[in-house]
Amino acid sequence: MIKTTGKSTETVFDHLAISGITRRLQELNVRTDVLTWHRFFGALLLVLLVLLVLSGAFMAFYYSPAPGSAYDSVDYALFTVPFGDIIKGVHHYGWNFFLMVLGVHLVRAFLVGAYQAPRQLVWVSGVMILLLVPIFIITGDLLPWDQKGYWSTQVRLSIIGSIPFIGDFIVRLLQGGPLTGIVALTRFYVLHILFLPCLLVFLIVIHMQFLRHRGISKPFLSGGNFSTKTVPFLPIIVNRWLILFLGVTLVLGLISWYWPAPLGDPADPTDSTYVPKPEWWVLFLNQLVTIFRGPLSVIGSVIIPGGLAGLLIALPFIDSSSERHPARRKKVILVAAIIAIGVLVLSIMGYLEHFRASHA
Amino acid sequence: MSKLKKIGFILFFVLAFGVFFIFNSHEVTGAGKQSVTVTKVENAPAGLDDPAWEKAKAVDVHFEGKERFAGKKASVATKAVYTDQEIYFLFSWKDANRSVTKGAWTYDGLKWSHQKGNEDRISLLFEINRIKNYATKGCAVVCHVPEGAPNAKDGRFGTSSAAEKGDLWHWKAARSDPAGFADDTWVTVISEKKGGRKGDAGKGGDTKNMTDDKSMPKYMLAPGKKLAKNDILLASHSVEIKDYSVFKAGDTITYRMPKMPEGSRADIKADSRYADGSWTVMLYRQLDTGHEDDVAFNPRKKYSFTMALFDDSGDEDSYDSEVLSLQFGR
Repeated sequence: MIKTTGKSTETVFDHLAISGITRRLQELNVRTDVLTWHRFFGALLLVLLVLLVLSGAFMAFYYSPAPGSAYDSVDYALFTVPFGDIIKGVHHYGWNFFLMVLGVHLVRAFLVGAYQAPRQLVWVSGVMILLLVPIFIITGDLLPWDQKGYWSTQVRLSIIGSIPFIGDFIVRLLQGGPLTGIVALTRFYVLHILFLPCLLVFLIVIHMQFLRHRGISKPFLSGGNFSTKTVPFLPIIVNRWLILFLGVTLVLGLISWYWPAPLGDPADPTDSTYVPKPEWWVLFLNQLVTIFRGPLSVIGSVIIPGGLAGLLIALPFIDSSSERHPARRKKVILVAAIIAIGVLVLSIMGYLEHFRASHA
Repeated sequence: MSKLKKIGFILFFVLAFGVFFIFNSHEVTGAGKQSVTVTKVENAPAGLDDPAWEKAKAVDVHFEGKERFAGKKASVATKAVYTDQEIYFLFSWKDANRSVTKGAWTYDGLKWSHQKGNEDRISLLFEINRIKNYATKGCAVVCHVPEGAPNAKDGRFGTSSAAEKGDLWHWKAARSDPAGFADDTWVTVISEKKGGRKGDAGKGGDTKNMTDDKSMPKYMLAPGKKLAKNDILLASHSVEIKDYSVFKAGDTITYRMPKMPEGSRADIKADSRYADGSWTVMLYRQLDTGHEDDVAFNPRKKYSFTMALFDDSGDEDSYDSEVLSLQFGR
């Protein structure tokens, strides 16, 4: 763990020319009420993000972004390189957990009213991060060039293409042509490892900056009478992050060891019998597309998802009351509960249609 | 935070992860690819009836008849187990007749002629290097290629390029089983002179028992030796015939004599039994032989493979399976 006292430690920091930074972090004090574990989802997200970056960098060393060699390069990294399957597994399970924890983090912030003034932009930047993650997943899915990735991409592009006015343009931009081939794969690769990570880092930096500027939300149950004891960010919070990093790495590593990340059959663009099944996080969206067909498809593919995203972003400005306790925000909580139940019901319907029906 | 809320949070996470794993445990497949799971066992099966086979789940692999067998169907009950070092397959299928003739010589008292009849066979094809679209199209790409396809020369058995290689396990009731092996061969691009099938490095296969004018057998059972399984004469147990007068009407001699394989060709050992109108065949091999002409099985990976069944027939007439998936249990 990091120790910030002692002559030897100070000498090391000085030699590394980071003594200024370490001093500022030591002087940054954090309230002790944030040390509770349910307030650590943000830290958990950072840890998962670091693991995703590290595991992704490992795979990028071996990856070849061309349809003729992409699959073989992933297969090589997975099954020939020592621990390749575990590192790939960390990446595969890492993004799934990242999305789950992001959802929990958002729900927690919503329930405790942490989006309210003066923290509106902390919430908005957090929602922007949430909306960016699916684009990571969509671009990443195609890279192994397996059946699931290829055909899932075809389905997604056809849904994007149904967006009025701009849909076709976005699809041509992503594909670089009429078909999903080498140009599309290259563009997805560049988006996944370069453009989107830069955008994500930017959003995280401004999210943290807004958080630092406005401070962490106070526990609303205290009625103002909460402990104002503080601890220094460095080393207390940093050490907790390091412990969290080690713990999460161990857990993901064990999970990856026992349940290797899946790699489907190599993509066969001529195999029209393949029907991709939606991932868990898009079951409800997929079900919307199933329900609203034909001329109404724009409702399921654009209006409802767009409306939900817009509601999330606009929430701090819609609910401008000063009350944070859920019992005193009944209308907002009720609307959120209805939407959550709707999403759950659509997801269950999607699961039954795509998974249980095929096993019957 | 209250204890109840902590428990609630923990339960929520456990439930969420549980749902996630249940979700991810469903195989994402295309058009219902059959899957054979290789079960891990502590002790390798010693024979066809070893109790170790009870731990493996049998899969009924479906076959469609081609050419002479067009319109007909067959099925082979398939099991597979593995240890730390080896992989074992057990195949069981109905066959009204045990066919091991393979053109054996018969003497009518005046002259020698070939008996009518071929042999029963079963084969498996795995990818050594990835064969384009094999995982989705199977034998339609490699085995029975259509006219005009890049590897259509010679009509069958070849990949489209030298970089694509397949490992062909070929059990032959007359030409390999009596020696206790399956013929270990591999498939590559069809060349100008030959088809795409090649024997693995080393010695093996079979040799034709005939004189230079092809009118009679050249070899007979050597003194002190016995015929192998199915009354087949092994090449190593034969001796050149010096006096043809010893033969009488009705005598038969093996035409295609199995040779004891050596080197990479001897990788796949076999045991078999024909009883009550069914064949039961066990094939086994090292998981990784270290040979470039063999597939190296990694238990953390899954493999696409296809099978073909030959019922007293030549290569043109067979029952072919769809593409199958071989997955290793933990």
